[in-house]
This record gives sequence, structure tokens and C-alpha cells, in this order.
Amino acid sequence: MLGRRLATLLLAATVLGAAVPASAQIKIGVTISTTGPAASLGTPQRNSIALLPTEIAGQKVEYIVLDDGSDTTRAVANARKLIDENNVDALIGSSTTPASLAMIDVAAEKKVPMISLAASSRLIEPMDAQRKWVFKTPQNDSLMADAIADHMAKAGVKTVGFIGFNDAYGDGWLAETQRALAAKGIQLVATERYARNDTSVTGQVLKLMQARPDAVLIAASGTPAALPQKTLHERGYTGKYYQTHGVANADFLRVGGRDVEGTVLPTGPVLVADQLPDTNVIKPVALEYVRRYEAANGPGSVATFGAHAYDAAILLQAAIPVALKKAKPGTPEFRSALRDALEGLSETVLTHGVSNMTPTDHNGFDQRARVMVTIKDGAWKLLP
Amino acid sequence: MRPRLSHAPSARWLPILLFALWLLVPLMPGVPSFWLTLANYAGIASVIAIGLVVLTGYGGMTSFAQATFMGFGAYATALLTTAYGVSPWLALPASLLASGVAALLIGAITLRLSGHYLALGTLAWAVSFYYVFGNLDLFGRNDGISGIPPLHFGAYALTSSRDYFWVVWTCVAVALVLTRNLLDSRPGRAIRALRGGAGAAVSFGVDLPRTRLLAFTYAAVLAGLAGWLYAHMQRSVNPTPFGLNASIEYLLMAVVGGAGALPGALLGAGLVTVVNDQLQDILPRLFGPRGNYETIVFGALLVLVLQTSPEGLWPHVRSWFRLPGGSNRRSIPDAPALPARPLPAPGAPVLQASHLRKTFGGLVAVNDLALHLDAGEIVGLIGPNGAGKSTTFNLLTGVARPTAGSMRFLGRDLAGCTPPRAACLGIARSFQHVKLVPGMSVLENVALGAHLRGLAGALRALLRLDRAEEAGLLAEAARQLDRVGLAEHADRPADSLALGQQRVVEIARALCLDPVLLLLDEPAAGLRHAEKAELAALLRRLRGEGVTILLVEHDMDFVMNLTDRLVVMEFGTLLAEGTAAEIRGNPAVIEAYLGSVA
Amino acid sequence: MDADIALILLQDGIVNGSIYALLALSLVLVFAVTRVIFIPQGEFVAYGALTYAALQEGRLPGSVWLLCGLGAAAALAGLVQQRHFLRAPAVLRLLAETLALPGAVLLAALWMAPRKLGVLPDALLTLAIVTPMAPYLYRLAFQPLAEASVLTLLIAAVGVHLALLGLGLVFFGPEGYRAVGFSDARVAVGPLVIPGQAFWIVGSTVALMAALYAFFGFTLAGKALRATAVNRLGARLVGIATSLSGRIAFVLAGGIGALSGVLIAPLTTVYYDSGFLIGLKGFVAAIIGGLVSYPAAALAAVLVGCVESFSSFYVSAFKEVIVFTVIIPVLLWRSLRSTGADEHE
Repeated sequence: MLGRRLATLLLAATVLGAAVPASAQIKIGVTISTTGPAASLGTPQRNSIALLPTEIAGQKVEYIVLDDGSDTTRAVANARKLIDENNVDALIGSSTTPASLAMIDVAAEKKVPMISLAASSRLIEPMDAQRKWVFKTPQNDSLMADAIADHMAKAGVKTVGFIGFNDAYGDGWLAETQRALAAKGIQLVATERYARNDTSVTGQVLKLMQARPDAVLIAASGTPAALPQKTLHERGYTGKYYQTHGVANADFLRVGGRDVEGTVLPTGPVLVADQLPDTNVIKPVALEYVRRYEAANGPGSVATFGAHAYDAAILLQAAIPVALKKAKPGTPEFRSALRDALEGLSETVLTHGVSNMTPTDHNGFDQRARVMVTIKDGAWKLLP
Repeated sequence: MRPRLSHAPSARWLPILLFALWLLVPLMPGVPSFWLTLANYAGIASVIAIGLVVLTGYGGMTSFAQATFMGFGAYATALLTTAYGVSPWLALPASLLASGVAALLIGAITLRLSGHYLALGTLAWAVSFYYVFGNLDLFGRNDGISGIPPLHFGAYALTSSRDYFWVVWTCVAVALVLTRNLLDSRPGRAIRALRGGAGAAVSFGVDLPRTRLLAFTYAAVLAGLAGWLYAHMQRSVNPTPFGLNASIEYLLMAVVGGAGALPGALLGAGLVTVVNDQLQDILPRLFGPRGNYETIVFGALLVLVLQTSPEGLWPHVRSWFRLPGGSNRRSIPDAPALPARPLPAPGAPVLQASHLRKTFGGLVAVNDLALHLDAGEIVGLIGPNGAGKSTTFNLLTGVARPTAGSMRFLGRDLAGCTPPRAACLGIARSFQHVKLVPGMSVLENVALGAHLRGLAGALRALLRLDRAEEAGLLAEAARQLDRVGLAEHADRPADSLALGQQRVVEIARALCLDPVLLLLDEPAAGLRHAEKAELAALLRRLRGEGVTILLVEHDMDFVMNLTDRLVVMEFGTLLAEGTAAEIRGNPAVIEAYLGSVA
Repeated sequence: MDADIALILLQDGIVNGSIYALLALSLVLVFAVTRVIFIPQGEFVAYGALTYAALQEGRLPGSVWLLCGLGAAAALAGLVQQRHFLRAPAVLRLLAETLALPGAVLLAALWMAPRKLGVLPDALLTLAIVTPMAPYLYRLAFQPLAEASVLTLLIAAVGVHLALLGLGLVFFGPEGYRAVGFSDARVAVGPLVIPGQAFWIVGSTVALMAALYAFFGFTLAGKALRATAVNRLGARLVGIATSLSGRIAFVLAGGIGALSGVLIAPLTTVYYDSGFLIGLKGFVAAIIGGLVSYPAAALAAVLVGCVESFSSFYVSAFKEVIVFTVIIPVLLWRSLRSTGADEHE
């Protein structure tokens, strides 16, 4: 009697066991902000994950995508879940700087390489025992801020007004802008902040205009970046407009309309892939991404944020074969080898630039990772 | 002292056994590490939700600022451990202090607000501090503070979810025990009376503003503890976990679990944490990986749960498992009687009121009333509805301020008297509309009457240093309950009694004050004939002991047979005064009562 | 700061305040009649603005499908509620309200959306799409909870808010939209350049308040609502169905929310999650107004708008801090003045 029951139980267990899909060889855990305030970053990132190869170097790859709702607590919980429950070999995420900062400890504690999709250089600097495990694909905001300061100096801008998000993105840009402008001898004459959801920025704009800056830099991401510029226009501001690479998607052009014509901003080359010279090694990679993304999500839908996720996967694609030679996926040795392999990557061509990782630079981008563009006739135009 | 039934020992030991088993969970083989992580998040949320049970469930105050107080605790430890290298253990008192002091300051301003104003006040603080946290360089602005050291024993750092599990759940257990201690005490009864019984509590000397502040601060200190736990588990803090949305989520946990009982906090926190996590796994399988349906499904589930159980889920769980609910009263140790106050000699003047007047706008409720009561007499105050009887009661007990006139009680001027002051002087009352705390046991309701005969504060209650005094108060309550003949109902929830019995409970509660003057508002309403006779006998006995009694009553037989004197009011004015026989024959009274029928 | 700037800030504050006033009105109304603190009010603003913007671009807004879904669910819930005394006229009315109406709106939307008929038809269609969602939600979420405590109702409102927020992201995406206004004209008054849309907003607020005044003062439904607000039990005793009052209150709330959305869509960019903060400020105004008085709430709303615009000029980083702490003294003052003991809830 007991024997039969046991047999039934065993059989049931076998059936259940068989029902679970055969686990993939390599697992990549992704936690991004597809809801909440950073949803405009996370959504194209999630769409890009869908484009990634499911096989690398003959090994099956599984991507487990979780949403952290732009919330640091959930980002950390997701990271733990992906590591503990899914035993992932690498982490991608999160979309924002605070969430990524909070994940560093988990990645380091569990010794899992993590590739952040957030901008701040604080994620990988100063390099220490913890940040050893952290890589990032977006350009450091310092690189972008330098580019803006450079352009301003050449355009004869002497005074600048700053208006940015009242969050980590604005904080990061304000710090970098202050540094970059000081280096070029440009004066920052007004600093204003606003929230993504504000319905009016009239007060801030009046304050900016009182300072009479030669140029205004708007540090915001996505469509909310259009509001200060439209209000400045309404109030008759006639100086130059600069935006950050955070606005690089079609929705910004749609909402901004005529009011954002002539705006100058630094961005990754992927935004203007088709305008790049044919000699540029980035062009084919970027064009391939744009083609595949728009095939899946409709024409004009591509956003540079999504490309950061795609770039993370390119890095992994390059590093995984190296790591596979040393250990089997799913083991601590493999994760460690993967980290070493990522750190050793050189001249990896991504959609956003060419990366040369070093033990002290886990971003690895150089000047090739940014171009200056302007907006002309409702489209992005590469500046020489 | 009558012997008392106590619950079977299993009921008392069950929680402790369950908790011990729960602590063993991490040692079981094959328990996934992530489950422990989830349990840790649930534990931290539980600590906050326990605070909300005290504040909202018992205290009736809705707070949207619990995550803010959590932030105070978290930032305090983050700052001390990173910038000043303080040990996390030493930072714990600082965290509790930070949230406690913040709550005291915020509470001192905000708790004057009542009802919805209070809820909005806390909401305003929550939004404000979110931006303050995010804009202070000291706090690392919006990026926050990272690199917070983990908790450690010597060189051993508690970084794994398993190690931290024990820390978190020990804190939960401590919070539960402390909170139970607090609720089961003199200040705890005052907190529990805030919702539904505040009007009565204040008439027995409860300092309402202080009690509200106590509940508010206690809940905030628990949130501060949660913040400390959070900071050392997460090892980084920034403003997002301490914003308005987080506060709303904690409130939601308490309500879903059932804010009326402590286990509801654990249930709500655990359930919301697990459901949030499971939706992430289940929904992509149902709808594909491209959508974000978690919030939608979570919101819909929330509404459905509330529709099936508006009081939260805990009452259901309790009845499924047939767990004893509400008060877990143990047998009451016999304690020496409390010191009684000396009563004035029979016939000595107790209360003299003259030219007493109260107007509401243009309406004169009490008009130049003169009233005197001597020690050891029962006086009936009668009159048609709207004659101003209850208003007179309110004037005598300080609930309402007279527009003009003077009142003296035992030679002291009652001008500017407040209800707690009246209670202090020895004026106790019952209410026309019964004011008992519904969920609290009959005994505890009665013990509320002895509030002024104890001194124990929250700290002594938390640490159980109040047991001797508490035994005295409860024994006194049991004695008074026995005296009014309701001893066998001591452990029942007050609202389960018949209305007439509830009125008698109010008398027992008033007696607990050890009154000089007893004001009873329709004590016999809803009583059966035999019960009325018992009540009359009790009141006569009290008179014999020297207590002075003024009662409002519509049952004429009862009044006529019991009272020494009658005072008749009509339209706020004194109509007649005299013995029962005199009043019966007074033509003005007959006219007023029987009107055109006569 | 010179007078010109003060004037501009004042104008900005009044325009924003008018929107808060509309929301405050509807929050007061819903609370007074149903005791629900209607957190999702803001979502109706976002839905209104985004639906309107989608129609202007010639796209069929996803909210139409939500309307149909909610209608069907409300029909089902209504039938379940009435299952013990099903009568043909009542059932027919229910089905007309919950199935025929969304169906008609869907057909109209399918026909109108690709034709880009212009500002006014689009605005009306937006109102038709968004407004009925509110009474459906009342039927689905709040009516079964009519006897629950204010706190339980509040948490249920949070649930509805979360669900609508998630649906908003699904239907409209994470990026914002801006619509074309009723009027492109700009009127120069001294130093002020007032956009025509500002007149529309302030004008609509004033007109709507007058209309509500007339509604409550002179119509039977309005008087029934007022009676319910004053005394729920009493109203029921004299034969006013509280569920009907609740539905009317929610229709008004939905309509006011959608209208607010249509009005602000041309002035600013609206996102799927814009509603919460706008609604919150309406709520602030409503509470300052005492949750009972319309003119006080409207005045408070304008005050909130002005505090917001002036503080965004002086210390933009701490704008919300100022807006939300300035109300505390006001609350204290109101709380001291209010004599009603509402400690039971």
C-alpha cells in the first residue's frame, strides 16, 4: 500500500519535473524600470531585450526580465531574486542611477557581474572592491557634459542658465555641468529645478530669463524636457538651447514640435546612425539595431535608451565565449570569469560607441561614443 | 474575588511556538534564499504595519507619513555609520530617537488636526520630506547614501538573507511583544479609547492630546526601527523608499490584513509582499513578457479583497482556525483595594450652581438654572425632551462651557473646568448615548474609569513594570463590575452586551473613578423590571456610602421611588423642585408633562 | 522681483489653480455624497488629456476599449446585484447604461478618430469616452463597499488608482502628449501675454461652478445629492437611493476630470501618471475648503496654484516642500474652527 502511494508520488514528481522547461545554459537577469517615473527609459530597454540572441557560442541564453517600477527597493529585491532564484550569470540594469547604485552591494556580495543602464559615473567611480563587479553601457554624463561645454565655448556662449529634473538625473547633470563649464570659463548664472510631472514651469523660466543667460541647458529626459523649452519660447527667450542625451527619442520631437528646432545636444551615434560616414565602425552595428528595433516596434520608434540594453548584450556576447573556456555557466567560477572577460574587452563596437574596458574604467567609451546633433525640420541632424 | 476562566495554555503558547518554528525556517534544507529575502522585506513592513495598527486601527488616526518616519530612522543610521564610522548597533538608538523626535515635533503641530485634516497633514509632511531628503547635500541628494556597513557580530557580517532573517524577525517579535504590552495597560486603554470612545475617555481624565501624541510617536518609532533594518539590509538609502507611495502601501497592508488586530499587520505585510512578487512571475506567463499588468491586477485584487472583507483578512483567518479573538484576558490576581477618596459628610453641600446659562447661537438651552446637591442624596433631574437636562450634565462635567453663571463643587469654583479636571475632582458620569469602546472587553472598559487612580506611563507599560499597579486597577474594575452584577460578562467585547447592560457597564466604569458625585444619564433605559430593581438597590447602597447622585431618567416609577428630591426643567428653565410627592401634585409640572391631555 | 513678474506668476497660479479648483469641487462632491476620497480623480484628468491628444492625432485612443470593458463588467456586476429581483425595465435600463452606451461611443470613436474632425468634436468625444468610466467604477468598486469605513473606502480608492495607472501606461505609453488648444490667440494685457487657452480654463471653471450651483439649487437630482450629503440615512428614509446619488456624483466627477484633462492638454505635456499630483493638489484645496464648501475649496485651489507658481520662481527645488507645508497652518486654523467631532472615522 505504502509502496504504491510512494510510486504514485514519484510518478507525479517526475511528470511535474518534466513539465518544467529544460533550463537554459546561460541565464541573464534583467531588472529595468518599465513602470513608474522612469518608464520611458525602461520601455524601449525591454523592447530591445526581445531582440537579443537566444544563443551565444553554442549555448542557449535565457533572459529573465523583471520590472522594478523605478523603485530602488524593488530593484534590489529583483536583483536578489534573479541571483537566488534564477541563479543568473549576469545582471543587466537598472535604468536609473539610484536603483543601480543600490544594486551594487548585491552584485558584489553575490559576485555576479552587473551591467547598469544608468548614466552617472558614480556607478563605476571610484573603482573599488564593490564596483569591480559593475559595468555600464551609457556614456558617463561627464563625457556628455564636456561635449556640451566644448560646443558652448566654440559658439561663444559666456553665460548659461541650467534647468533640470529635481531628481538624480538633474543632480548628476548639475554637478557635471558645473565642473565642465568651470573648465571652459563659462559662467553658470542660474540654476532651476522642476519635476517630470509639473504642469507649469513659468516661475523657473522667469527666473532663468532674469539672469539673461546666453544659453539654457535643460537636463531632463524624454518628453518632459520639452516643457521648459516651450515655456522659454512662449516667454520670448532668444538665446541658444542645449539639451542632454536624455531626450533622444522621437516622442521628444513630436511633443516639442517647432519650439525645439535648433536645439543642440550630445548623444550616442545610434541616434543618427544613417548620417554617420560609412567609414565609422559604429554605423553598421547601430543601423542593424535600428532596423531590427523598428521592424519589431514600428518605424520611428527607436530610442537611444533601448540601445544601452542592446549594448549590454553585445558586451556579454563578446565576453561569454571567453568565460566559457574557463568554467561552466551557472557556477561562481563562470561568473567570475565573465567579469574578468568583460573587463578585458577591447575595441568592442557597440551601437553607442567603441568600448575599451580596463580595470579602472568599466565603461570604456571615448570620444567616438558621442556626436553633437541638432534638430532640423523635426528630425535629428548630425553636426560636423 | 471570583475565580476566572483562563484560556487553555495551548492558546497562550501557540504564538510562541509558531514563532520558534518560524525562526527555524532558514535552517531547513532547500528553503530558497530568495524566500528569506522576501520574508525579510515582509518583516520590515510588518514592523511599520504594527505601528499602524496602534495608530490607525486602535487610535483612529490615518497617517500617510509612516514611510517618512522610516526615512528618518534609515537616514540617521546611514549618516552615522558612513560619515562618522559609528557601529550600526550604536546607531540603532539614534535611529529610534530621530524618528521619535521627528514624530514628537510633527505631531505637536499636526495632531491638533482632527479627522481628515490629520490625514492630509501627514500627507503634506510626507511629500515635503521626500523633497527635503532629495535636496540635502548631507543626505547625498537624490542618489542617496550608499556603502552603508552591514550589521555584524565581531568580524562576522550579517549579509546573507538567512542571517538577516533572524535579525528582522527578532525585531518583529520584540515589536509585537512591546506593542501588546502597551495596548494591555493603562496608557494602552487610553489609546484604544481614541477610536469610538474618546468622549468617555476624556471624562475619566484621559489627556487626549497626549494620548494621541503617544500613539503617533510610538508608531513612528517602530517605523524608525524598520528604517534602521532597511538601511542595513539594503545598504543604501535614497528618497524613493520613503515617499508618499510607500506610505500608502504600508497603510494598505495594515487595512488588507486587518488594522483592528496585531496579527493583521503581519498578515497584510506578508500577503502584499508575496502577492507583489508572485504577480511578477505569474502575469508574464499569462499575458506575455511585453506588458506591465502587475499594478493593474494588484489594484483590482485589492478592491476585491476589501469587498469581501472590509475589516481586513485577519477576522476571516481567525474564524477559520477558531482562534480566540479580541482580549486575551488572563485570570486577575487579587490585589489590595485602591486607596479611596474621603467623601464629604452627609448633608454637606457638594454642588452649587447659580444663574447657570448656556446658549447655542440664539437658542437658550439652559436658562438661569439654580441647582444644589448635598452629600449622600439622590436627586432626579426630569423634564420633557429638549428641556436642557443633558446640556446641564455637560456643563457640570466641563464638556460644555457655561455662557454665564457660576458652579462650585466642594467649595471649589468650577469656572473653566475641563472634563479631565472634573474627573480629577471626583465627578463621574454615564452617557445618554452609550460610549463604550466597542472592541475592548467589558472589564477593560470599566478599568478605563480608574485611569486617574494609576500613574503608569507608556515606558513602564512597554517594559511591564506596571504590573502591580495594573493588577490593582483591574481588580478594582472587577470589583465594580461584580457590584453592578455583570461579573460574568467581564471578558466579552463591550459591544456584544445588550444596550441596557451597556448602560450598567457605564455605571461600573463611573464607579471606578471613586466618585464624590455621580451623574447618570438615563441609567434605567432598556433595563428589564428586575434589573431596574437591582439598579435602584445599588444606587441606594451607594447613597448609603455617601455618594451623591444626580440622575436624568424618563421612567417615572423608577425616579419617584428612588430619589430624595426632584428637579424639573422645561425649555432650559427650572420649573419646579421638591420631593416626589410635591412634584406629583405640582400643576405646572402636570401641564408640562401631560399638556393638552390634562 | 518686479511687478511684471508678479503679474505673470499670478496669472500662472490662477490658471493652474482653476484646474485644482475643478478637481477640488469634484472631490468634495464625491466625498460628501459617498464618503469616498476619490484618489483616482487625477487619472481622469490624465485619461481626458491623453484621449483628447490621441483623437487629435487621428488615432483611436485605447481608453475606448477600457470604457467597453468597464461597461461590460458593470453590466455583469449590476445583474449579479439584482439577481434576486430581476425586472425587465430595470435590466433594460442597466444594459442600456452599461452596454449600449459604450457601444455607441465605440462606434462614434471608430468613425470620428481617423477623420480628425477638429477641436470641439474631439473634446466632446473625449468627454463621452472618459466620463462614463466613473459611474462604472462606482458600481464595480465602491457601491459594494457603501457601508465600509472611510479608511477602507480610501484604500479601495487607492486600488482603483493603481489599476487605472497601470492601464494608462498600457494604453498611452510612458511618454507624454500635448494637444492643440481651443484657441491659439494670445491677448496682450500690459506686460501679460495671456494664451487664449487660459481664458478657456478660467472661464470653464467659473461656468462649471455656476452650473453646479444651479444644479444643486434648482434640480431634483441636485437636491437629492445635497440631501444625501447632509444625511445619508435620512435621505434613504425619504426615498432617495444612495446608490443613485453615488452614481450621479461619480458621473459629475468623471466629467469634471475629463474636462480638466481636455483643458490642460494644450498648456502642458500630460503623462499617464500626471494625474496623481494634480489630483493631490486638488485634494489639498478640497481639505482646506473643509471638504464641504465649494466656494471655499475653489478659493483654496487658486491659493494653492499661486503658492506653487511663486515658490517655483523663488526656490524651485523646494517648490513641493513649500506648497505642502504652507497648507499646515491653514489646516490648523480650519481644524480649530471646525467644531464637528469627526473622531469616529
